[in-house]
Amino acid sequence: MTLTETRPEAEAVAAGDESRPATQSSAPQWTPPTGLARILSTGDHLTIGRMYVAFSLLLSGLALTLGMLIGIEQADIDGGFGVFTNANELFQVFGLYRTTLILCGLVPLFLGLATAVVPGQLSAPSVAFPRAAAAAFWTWLVGAIAHIAATFSYGGLGSVEAEAARGQSVELTVLSLGMIGLGLLVGSGVVFTTLVTQRPAGMDLLQMPAFSWSMLVATGVWLFSLPVLLGNLVISWVDMRGADALGFGGGDAPFEMVAWAFDAPQVYAWTIPLLGIVAEVFTAAHRSSPKLFEPMAFIVGAFGFLSFGAWAQSFFDSADPSAADAHIVTNEVLFTAFALAIALMVLAYGGWLAFNAVSAGQRPQITPQFALVVVSGALLTAAAAAGVLRVAEPALGVLREADDDIWRGFFDAMDDLEGSSLVTGMMNFAVLGGLLAAVAGLFHWAPRLLGRPLHAPLGFLSVLALAGGAFLIGATDALSGFFDQPAQPYQTARLVDIDALGFVEALNVIGLIGYIAVLGGLALVALNAARSLATQSEAGPDQGGEA
Amino acid sequence: MADIAVGTPLAAPLPRQRTLLVGTVFGTAASLMYFAALFGVYLRERADALSGGGEWIPSGANMQLAQPTVAAWTMLMSVVTMQWAVYAIARDDRPHAIMATALTTLFGLSVIVTTSFQYTEMGLVADESIAAVLIYAISGSHLAMIAIGLSFLLLMAFRALAGQYSSRQTDGFVAASIYWYAVVFVYVVIWTAIFVLK
Repeated sequence: MTLTETRPEAEAVAAGDESRPATQSSAPQWTPPTGLARILSTGDHLTIGRMYVAFSLLLSGLALTLGMLIGIEQADIDGGFGVFTNANELFQVFGLYRTTLILCGLVPLFLGLATAVVPGQLSAPSVAFPRAAAAAFWTWLVGAIAHIAATFSYGGLGSVEAEAARGQSVELTVLSLGMIGLGLLVGSGVVFTTLVTQRPAGMDLLQMPAFSWSMLVATGVWLFSLPVLLGNLVISWVDMRGADALGFGGGDAPFEMVAWAFDAPQVYAWTIPLLGIVAEVFTAAHRSSPKLFEPMAFIVGAFGFLSFGAWAQSFFDSADPSAADAHIVTNEVLFTAFALAIALMVLAYGGWLAFNAVSAGQRPQITPQFALVVVSGALLTAAAAAGVLRVAEPALGVLREADDDIWRGFFDAMDDLEGSSLVTGMMNFAVLGGLLAAVAGLFHWAPRLLGRPLHAPLGFLSVLALAGGAFLIGATDALSGFFDQPAQPYQTARLVDIDALGFVEALNVIGLIGYIAVLGGLALVALNAARSLATQSEAGPDQGGEA
Repeated sequence: MADIAVGTPLAAPLPRQRTLLVGTVFGTAASLMYFAALFGVYLRERADALSGGGEWIPSGANMQLAQPTVAAWTMLMSVVTMQWAVYAIARDDRPHAIMATALTTLFGLSVIVTTSFQYTEMGLVADESIAAVLIYAISGSHLAMIAIGLSFLLLMAFRALAGQYSSRQTDGFVAASIYWYAVVFVYVVIWTAIFVLK
């Protein structure tokens, strides 16, 4: 037995297997732990998956609360600081919003669903390394709690002043973010290994369900992304150990070291499982199986390949002015090509969905999960469109040269979108799309995850709040970008560039309503899940647990 | 008619347990990606410093090539002993597998000692130059990688002592060797990029 396996006794007890011969009476009998000890020591993939889902939903709620606070601050741009006392605090919460929403919310939510669902999809008894899965979960959770605590101890990722004195809590923030990354990496490894090795004989990779395929692609891309993030964090941390930080640990450098993870194209990489969930729920609603699976698998694979974004960090750019120009051109070409290619993949995926809808020959069964996947697909499309708009200026530069008069108005609108809140809108569209897809997965696999389906009417109410809120958040950020609202709200010097200040503030208020709506939607989902568990407890013991 | 040798029928081969191998390959690839990121930043900063006409390694530092070269050769020798361990366990030669693993461990420990000694000699202060920050980040991470590799090796050795691995099941040793080869590969890159190129 390897260290990574579950104790056979525990498996037997969990499976209710009483047929095994009793151990000799003289040998000390091992009794499975109960209560909190059972949760802390569990190697059961379903329990680990549930814990991932519960805590990542909780932390997503925290992230959205932070987004709401930033929204309140931005509702009165020219009135000085209100919620926060200075630009530094706003910068730290801005960074925490991103790390929490993506690395403590979205990615672990997908990993939790995969940990719980993938073994069943492969007819495997468990994940490949159950104890490693548990270790990954606890590493991630402890890291997430430490990360949030350290940031609230005035230890956010860097500061707006280059020479600002830093406390030890900044180092703790960096280290805890490393713990989060390590936990997610190990969790990804567990899911990846499960998908590669635990398939039944005769099932090749392209015969797996769509969600499993998308998790294979996602964990493969995360395998190449998360170590780069860890490398960035280690460089920052080593620089901080000295008396004076030189280039990686001072000022806003710690945030800049990891900023690529929250921007295009990497932000799409965190949403890859969305494509698998949408495919499964969409075809299930049409009461059919996915047709033309191979093209869909190719699209998901290409989307994953294009979304790998660790290369797009400023620390790989040259500081030498003569070389920097060449790098800027290369980066613009790459960014433009990747943005267009990703948009093309999203369109192709939409075409695949349309083909499946038509070939099913019947109207879809309208369920909360179906409504959620439709909305999450639309959000991903909006993210891809925002990504294309963002690179429109360099891409259409040739047209500007050709006939300035015709295109002047258009180009004026396109100018300076890079660095504007359009970038934030793109991120929010993509990440919230992923979040909604994960919630759709929760509804879809609720009988397995929670033991019984979720309440549909309550589900539709949460869909309304989640969908409306997500669109408001993304659309208002994207639209404000056209009026020069900066992507980083703490850059107070850029606030004077904002055109139509009153209109932008009104947009920010609408965005704030969006945050409240999404938070309400998540609360309804949590209530729905709690109701399901409570009803199940009244009905009898959990039957969905260890199957 | 030739006699037919009759003996104990051969046991059916065990099904391949690839889980540990795939998991190790995943972990090894992640480790290599981690170092790729570190080297990406290191080489970019070095190129910028040199193209601007400045110095990369601070003039006060004493970056000798002797200790890293000894360490590089030690690492390369450990490839032979590591492969010896895999070869031996695949032939049910458990004593030699244990001996080869012990030698590999010894080589790994000696690289840790050599690197620690070099730290005391080279006079590179972390908060005086970006080069120092990056060199300590890379070489320190490699020391951690060696420690992980040694733990993996020792775990496999203890299991072999308990009779777990044999010619029918070599995955543990093969997995440990894959990770160890990555450790050696990274050190060769460190030796070239940091100590030879300077």
